[in-house]
Amino acid sequence: MTRNFSAWPVLLVLSLISLPLAIMYASVFVDSFTNTPPGAILPNEFTLAHWRFLVDPSIAGNIWVATLNTFIFALSMVVIVTTISAMGGYAVSRLNLPYRRFFLAGIMVMHAFPSVTLIIGVFLVLQFAGLYDTLAGVIMVKATLMLPFGIWIMKGFYDAVPWEIEMAGVQDGASRFTVWRRLILPQVKPGLIALGVFAFLDGWGEYLLPRILAPTSEFRVLSVYLQQISVTDSINYDFNLFKSVGLYYTLPVLIVFIVFQNRLMNIFGGGTKG
Amino acid sequence: MTILAKALRSTAALAIVAAASGAAFAEEYTITVWSGGTGDDSHYRVDAIEMAADLLEREAAVRGEELDITVEKQVWSGWDDFKQAVTLAAESGTAPNIIVSGHEDIGPWSQAGILRPIEDYVDFDAWPLNQLYDNLVDVSSYDGLIWGVPQDAESRPFFMSKAHLAEIGYSEDEIDALPGKIQSGEYTLYDMLDDVKTMQDEGVVEAGMGFAPRVNNGTDYWQFYQSFGGEMVDEETGKLVFDKQALTDMYQFFADAVEMGVTPATYLGGDWDVWHGNVAADAYGAWHGGTWHKSQWERQFGVDDFFGQMTFSLIPAGNENGEANTITHPLVYLISTTGSDDEAAISAELVAIASEPRINSLHAVESGHLAIGSAQADVPLYANDRWTTEATEQLLPYANPIPNNADFGIFWDAMYQGLEAAWTGTSSVEDAVNQAQSAVESGLGDGIIIR
Amino acid sequence: MIVSNTTSAERGIRSSALTRSTEPATDTVRAARKGRARTSPLGLVMLAPALALLVAFFFAPVVLTTIFSFTNMTSATGISGGAYVITPNLLRDLEWQGMAPEAAQSLSGETISVDEAALERAAAAGVDPDFLEEIEDELLGDEFDDARSFERELKTLPSRPRRVRDLKLAAEPFSQSILNTRFATRDEAATAIASIAPDLSAEDRNTVLSAAYTGWVWTTDNFERLATTPETARLITNTALYVGFTLSLFNVGLGLFLAIAIFYMPKTSGTIFSVLWLLPRITPVVLYTVMWKWFTWDDGFLPVVAENLGLPAFNYMKGSVPTAWATIVSLNGFIGASFGMILFSGALRAIPQQQLWASEVDGASRWQQVRRIILPQLRWPILFVTCYQSLSLLSSYEQIWLTTNGGPGNTTNVWALEAFRVALSNYTGNLQYGYGAAMALVLVVAGLALSIIFLRLFRFNELVEKPKIEF
Repeated sequence: MTRNFSAWPVLLVLSLISLPLAIMYASVFVDSFTNTPPGAILPNEFTLAHWRFLVDPSIAGNIWVATLNTFIFALSMVVIVTTISAMGGYAVSRLNLPYRRFFLAGIMVMHAFPSVTLIIGVFLVLQFAGLYDTLAGVIMVKATLMLPFGIWIMKGFYDAVPWEIEMAGVQDGASRFTVWRRLILPQVKPGLIALGVFAFLDGWGEYLLPRILAPTSEFRVLSVYLQQISVTDSINYDFNLFKSVGLYYTLPVLIVFIVFQNRLMNIFGGGTKG
Repeated sequence: MTILAKALRSTAALAIVAAASGAAFAEEYTITVWSGGTGDDSHYRVDAIEMAADLLEREAAVRGEELDITVEKQVWSGWDDFKQAVTLAAESGTAPNIIVSGHEDIGPWSQAGILRPIEDYVDFDAWPLNQLYDNLVDVSSYDGLIWGVPQDAESRPFFMSKAHLAEIGYSEDEIDALPGKIQSGEYTLYDMLDDVKTMQDEGVVEAGMGFAPRVNNGTDYWQFYQSFGGEMVDEETGKLVFDKQALTDMYQFFADAVEMGVTPATYLGGDWDVWHGNVAADAYGAWHGGTWHKSQWERQFGVDDFFGQMTFSLIPAGNENGEANTITHPLVYLISTTGSDDEAAISAELVAIASEPRINSLHAVESGHLAIGSAQADVPLYANDRWTTEATEQLLPYANPIPNNADFGIFWDAMYQGLEAAWTGTSSVEDAVNQAQSAVESGLGDGIIIR
Repeated sequence: MIVSNTTSAERGIRSSALTRSTEPATDTVRAARKGRARTSPLGLVMLAPALALLVAFFFAPVVLTTIFSFTNMTSATGISGGAYVITPNLLRDLEWQGMAPEAAQSLSGETISVDEAALERAAAAGVDPDFLEEIEDELLGDEFDDARSFERELKTLPSRPRRVRDLKLAAEPFSQSILNTRFATRDEAATAIASIAPDLSAEDRNTVLSAAYTGWVWTTDNFERLATTPETARLITNTALYVGFTLSLFNVGLGLFLAIAIFYMPKTSGTIFSVLWLLPRITPVVLYTVMWKWFTWDDGFLPVVAENLGLPAFNYMKGSVPTAWATIVSLNGFIGASFGMILFSGALRAIPQQQLWASEVDGASRWQQVRRIILPQLRWPILFVTCYQSLSLLSSYEQIWLTTNGGPGNTTNVWALEAFRVALSNYTGNLQYGYGAAMALVLVVAGLALSIIFLRLFRFNELVEKPKIEF
């Protein structure tokens, strides 16, 4: 269709608008492997020196601990968010509950809350639960912030499952729970995967919550690690090092994104970012 | 009289019994120390505690006791996240045993019950605390108690480029005499504006690069308030003082500087590394910073002839109401209420040892800070360092601190917000002062005297 | 969450159509249609974990924020309550406010007297008996003005404790002063005052006790302050500008452009662009913001290019107000554009191809095609993106905080960022939890109001219709 229109003007404008992004991302790749003389735009030599941080913790601290923490963080997010949303979404999609409407409205409104400005309240709750300054506490808070999104997404997927499947299962004598686990869950697998990937990405990139709610260095995640080496007012400040660490930090995200790209498109635009 | 002692009597009794029975087994302690605003050249703030722990362990070993202290240290490069972490951790009972922070935090934190007065744990009549400068001990005191041990001292001098002064006609002698003229009040801030304007007009420095104050909020701006005759605290009543005239003159000064084009309207909120880079490249006419910046410029930004490149002096007077001055903003070692009384006692001992002249001089010289005690003049490392000795002689006697008042932060925020408004031109100087006044009035009520 | 709002709405409609067409008249469906809602225990169990977390980390913080906003809570008062402390400064202030100097004097007296009673107290506190004996021998009947001189005397005694702390603890029972003692309750403090200053009038005692409280108290000052300070108007203007520009230029404008451009493009190049525009959304925020710094700072890409072209080159992020605004708007907009892009792309794919072909046959230009066919079909998605993203933008501040941090000179500060800075993150460490909570509460209320409007617009009832199947 529409072959009789020229695509070039639009393509040109689109490329121009996209140029800043392309340049920024390209520079992250290029600069982490090269040196650029001051004042110049283009690099003049190839080097692997900026990657020494991987083996030498004296440069910027031990990155492997931070990586492990970040993995624990992101994977826990995946487990918590998918499990609880899968259950909760089913309940609000298929089961009769008191105040169901109220709950659904609440979930939709919650997203609009400036949840991060409520952080003193969150802090008090964590402290009360003895979870302040623990990775577990941050994970729970972050996962909760994602739940309204997760439940809503899963509800959408459950709504689309033909109820005959369920009916057949129940008529065969299976319990409602078994029906959900054996028959319905497989039907919403695409939704679960997409949600899981999304939870992973969100957890991987999170910065604010770990910084405020788990300030001790044992629980340092990669975002905090990266922020610490980006302090410009320090002797070790090195932009290329920053970009190398940044690229290292982003690689898992890129891989996950590329692998799951198509599945994500369904729900991607959501989340909490502007 | 002491804050905690009464509640802790029973513990104390046990401790005394334990001490009397002679602890035969190894005592193990884990002491945490957190420090804010600490960069790569000020690591001795926390490392000194580690060294002290080593000494204390050895002393115990000599006595035939076994003492095992693990020091867990953590530093923050900035202040806002550090203070946030300390406050929240204290709220949850997990504050570090030793906190290294600005002395102005003593006010709010002692009110909140975060701190133990260190005078309950160490002897200020004994070495090494008996050689600390009295005014620094005063700075570490609040409400009749000594809460902390000064960790370092500094001052915030005013710098001018020798080369650029020469280029606009200053002779070498005149340049050398400049700090003296500033001190006597003969050379004022407005004289400085004229000079840097001349530098710009003659193309010696680029437009907007004449005068480069601190790039973000900091104690430094109170110096200008003082230059125009402002007092932060009323000596008689101990109350904060909002001096309307001084604040107006101070805001007006920065608005004038913008008006003259020697500093950009959008200057505040700039970046430190850019500023340092410009200082090192001698791109500014006049600027002010901290004594510790000298070591940063030399190590990080390649200044090799510091004394040849710039003059340093007090901050000039602004008008006849004020005097040349400088503010010292000592950091202090504070002991938190976290942990047992024994842990606090060990922490305090560590702090006392870390204040030994030799150990403290490591920090002072490496980071360009000034001595905390008179005995440091006899430590060769310190005595042989030209910068620390000159700064100690020329600046420290005239340095005053900001007040330890739990409410000072509100005044400070209001002062800086007004300054930003006047500087950027988002409101007139008059409006900015009124805005600051209404902010302190609504925030502090009659806790502040408006003049 | 609501991208899928349309999708799930569609799905809801689809599944309801399905129900209607197949219509097996089982009792249960009839029961459900009769509207007799029977609570499903399984549903409650399955929802319980979600509910628990949401209550703990969403609902409770909102309630706490509401409570805090009516207090004067700061880092000086602490969050969890205070104590009663009588300090020299406090007495001086009270005197200043008109309390009789004798009354203040009676509370501030610090004398240390070595008498029988004090020795007994010391013995009860567990001070070494030998040491006490020496004190009794050497110092009985002596009085000291302050603890320091007493301690100096103690240090001359042979069996003094070796540790400084122990010496101080031993000296402690001899002091009768209540200054700087932290009393946990008002009663304890009152008792202590009564014992040291029995002559103090009840009125004075109450004045002292109220003033001596270090914790927070209830107040509506925060809202008064918000209503009166000129800063409020500026923050609201800034927030409106920020949301307005980002939303119109990027989230909707650019999103729409991207979706339509990609729609007309061959599949491969379309994919490349949509992936490129999704990158900001998945890039960790710390890296993303520093990429922008690299792009706009003094020695960054743009200024260097501009310099080579002879254009004014400076730190665009912080160097001037217009460029700072341009930076934060595009920085956030680049993240937000993908949201609109995906949503609009979905809606575009749903447009029947025949309509487009037909218009082409009729000789419509591309612009006419976009205007007459595509845009009308995108009305609801555009409205949706506008509503939804305005809420997100309203409460977002992380990107601004990590880049301009409100600068230069507070000109790019927005409400959410200011709330965060007031409550949790500022240079002086003067964290005003109460005032920050009041600011956050304003945002919550604004968000709630907007969401309610938004739910009405989107026919909430359709989205939450009753479950189609229930046993």
